[in-house]
Amino acid sequence: MGCYDDIDHADVFITWGNNMAEMHPVLFSRMLANRKTKGHVKIIDFATRTTRTSQAADKSILFRPQTDLAVANAICYELFRNEWINWDFVNKHVSFHKGKTNIGYGTEDHFKFADKAETVDLEAYKAFLEDYTPEKVEKVSGVSAEDIRYLASLYGDPDKKVTSYWCMGMNQHTRGTWINNLVYNCHLLVGKISQPGNGPFSLTGQPSACGTVREVGTLTHKLPHGVVMNEEARKMAAEIWDVPVENIDPKPTYHTVEMFRALDRGDIRFMWIQVTNPMVTMPNLNRYRNGAEKEGRFVVVSEIYPTPTYDVADVVLPSALWIEREGFFGNSERRTQHNEQIVPMPGDCMSNTWQIIEVARRMGYEKQFSWSEDTYIEDIWNEYIRFHDSPKHRMAPYNDLKAQSGLQWPYVDGMETKWRYNPKYDPAAASGDDFDFYGKPDKRAWIWLRPYEPAAESPDSEYPFWLNTGRILEHWHTGSMTRRVPILHRAVPESYVEINPDDAARMGITNGMKVKVSSRRGSVMMKASINGRGKPPVGMVFVPFFDESYLINEVTLDAFCPISKQPDYKKCAVKLERV
Amino acid sequence: MENSEQKVGKVFLVFAGICLVALPFIVLSAFSFDSEQMETAVVTTGEDDFDQGGEAIFINYDQLSREYLAGTSTERTLSDYYARRQYPGSPPIIPHKVEEADLALIECLACHARGGWSEELKGHTPLTPHPEQTACRQCHLAQTDARLFVATDWMSVTTPRLGRSELPGAPPPIPHELQMRGNCIACHVGPGAVASIRVEHPSRGNCRQCHVPETSAGLFSRK
Repeated sequence: MGCYDDIDHADVFITWGNNMAEMHPVLFSRMLANRKTKGHVKIIDFATRTTRTSQAADKSILFRPQTDLAVANAICYELFRNEWINWDFVNKHVSFHKGKTNIGYGTEDHFKFADKAETVDLEAYKAFLEDYTPEKVEKVSGVSAEDIRYLASLYGDPDKKVTSYWCMGMNQHTRGTWINNLVYNCHLLVGKISQPGNGPFSLTGQPSACGTVREVGTLTHKLPHGVVMNEEARKMAAEIWDVPVENIDPKPTYHTVEMFRALDRGDIRFMWIQVTNPMVTMPNLNRYRNGAEKEGRFVVVSEIYPTPTYDVADVVLPSALWIEREGFFGNSERRTQHNEQIVPMPGDCMSNTWQIIEVARRMGYEKQFSWSEDTYIEDIWNEYIRFHDSPKHRMAPYNDLKAQSGLQWPYVDGMETKWRYNPKYDPAAASGDDFDFYGKPDKRAWIWLRPYEPAAESPDSEYPFWLNTGRILEHWHTGSMTRRVPILHRAVPESYVEINPDDAARMGITNGMKVKVSSRRGSVMMKASINGRGKPPVGMVFVPFFDESYLINEVTLDAFCPISKQPDYKKCAVKLERV
Repeated sequence: MENSEQKVGKVFLVFAGICLVALPFIVLSAFSFDSEQMETAVVTTGEDDFDQGGEAIFINYDQLSREYLAGTSTERTLSDYYARRQYPGSPPIIPHKVEEADLALIECLACHARGGWSEELKGHTPLTPHPEQTACRQCHLAQTDARLFVATDWMSVTTPRLGRSELPGAPPPIPHELQMRGNCIACHVGPGAVASIRVEHPSRGNCRQCHVPETSAGLFSRK
């Protein structure tokens, strides 16, 4: 709902399971500059591991993995107990809903789940929160009741503008949808949303995940506008694409994890992989690599560099790097940016988009893909923006985007929209009232009753450590590009396992010593890092996943959020051994 | 009756008068500064430290006045800086008079952890990046005699080259070890910093988000 300008307006920043200092460094600098200018600004790091963000924060609060769910509910409990609720906002703009509980973890093949929303009333919500008193939640989460009350007091203070930031800690979570809902609840109860400096903000879209995946409909259930299950959305797509509506299957096929399971089972035999490196990033990787390498599987990989995914390919298509072709980015704050081709394509490279066009033409879709190689990016953009020809989501015209360094949608009458659902800023919101949450049929923002449920796999006597994985500043995801930049490779040439100094001392592990990290699924031998870049708490280890020589995803678990289907890379049980 | 040109002329005259009166004040305020604002306090983090003392950067950044952050002077040059070291990275000598050494005394830190203008030495005090080490003079030596015992042709190793960016305009990597020199702000920000290694953008605060150390010499290769 908000935008990066929130960073200049907020009085309090709460980062949920998010190491912004390394993962969103430029935005984090802007946050530090805001604190420095204003003096009273507070940054609260709420996380499972101590990081650079903790170092910079005014307060660092550690919680046990998965218990963010309980803490978020406890914050809401405290908001009620202290009468910090913004009743004007809640009565006018919020409705209460509950979904299914005990929803599973998707660890088995053919796992199916569909949530069902049931509307409830305020009393039901308050009764639900009775299970989440700070004292009860302290026992589950390890966060002191005092700290929970402190967090609630920040959300509850009517004089403080609060922005919550999160990234993969909340999204790569077997209850990722739930924890997103719960952080929204914290903002909705106090009406701190859709205003400068006030709002929940998911940072996940920064590199174009928002633009290239969610907005344009690259997922199995999505169309450029709406979902395949919706007849109106199918009709709109069929008309714009000039295909019979029957060509669009109303039933989504496989989400990512199930797609690779289907490849392993043989239900899928052909796969074409572009712009991703799943042979490093799939959780429980051994199974999916073996699956891709099985007899009778045909894997095509479009890549710019040799990677472990390239290693399993039957055919490799050389792609153009982003500076070698024209294109668009779309980031977290709904900003679309056009990028020109900067350098010529080397050799026989071809842009990923043009590869698809050439194949589609050979499948008989010449009419739908009739564009020329000179103008196809502009033509595709012009086709795409027909899907969003309403003030709720209007995209900027091609020439406007070429003339400026990015524009935020909804882009209406030459104006960007910085805060959605607020008539002061959003032309789609009905004027007069203070907010118009037009995204839902009841025109209200939804508060969800989402309980705490444990992780898919927790440490036990045999595998006594949590394994947390993630990125580091220097390397982008699987490092296929950044490791080829000399400065970045020389800064962090290989991955490592971060161990708490007390655990290391107890086990006689010293810095740089080789240790074996193993789970029920696989093991990796790598160097120990003690008091290095980050510091996990006692009972947790952290491994960056960028290094293809130490494939930590052979150790991780392929559990996912039953609603979002996103795997949880932050929680599984491992043991450590000296080798 | 005045014509419009005369009116304009009068307005200019009044304006010029105001400027003339105001000018000395403007000049005075521009060239004087509150010496306290030009001071800082280099901090250190406790025993529970990680990321090569990274927390000190954030704390220091937070505590610096904006005047200090923007502080510039051209007193110290890179050649002075290296001339005081046996080799790049070695502890610099003490270039001014000091009292008899007493390791228990931490008087050095009265100036070198705080910075500011030294009237006696007519210069801005350089800061130590490691104020947690209080026995300064076990590494930093005063010079009492300029003559050598025997002549020497000893030469220092080459100093790190400036401007080692990957691309024009890209952030250069950190060319030195971080042990005892991890607090970027101490040496690269403020009026006491050597001009050619002073950052132009101290307001960013999170130095190592862009400037990465060199921990290995090799290039990436697939095994």
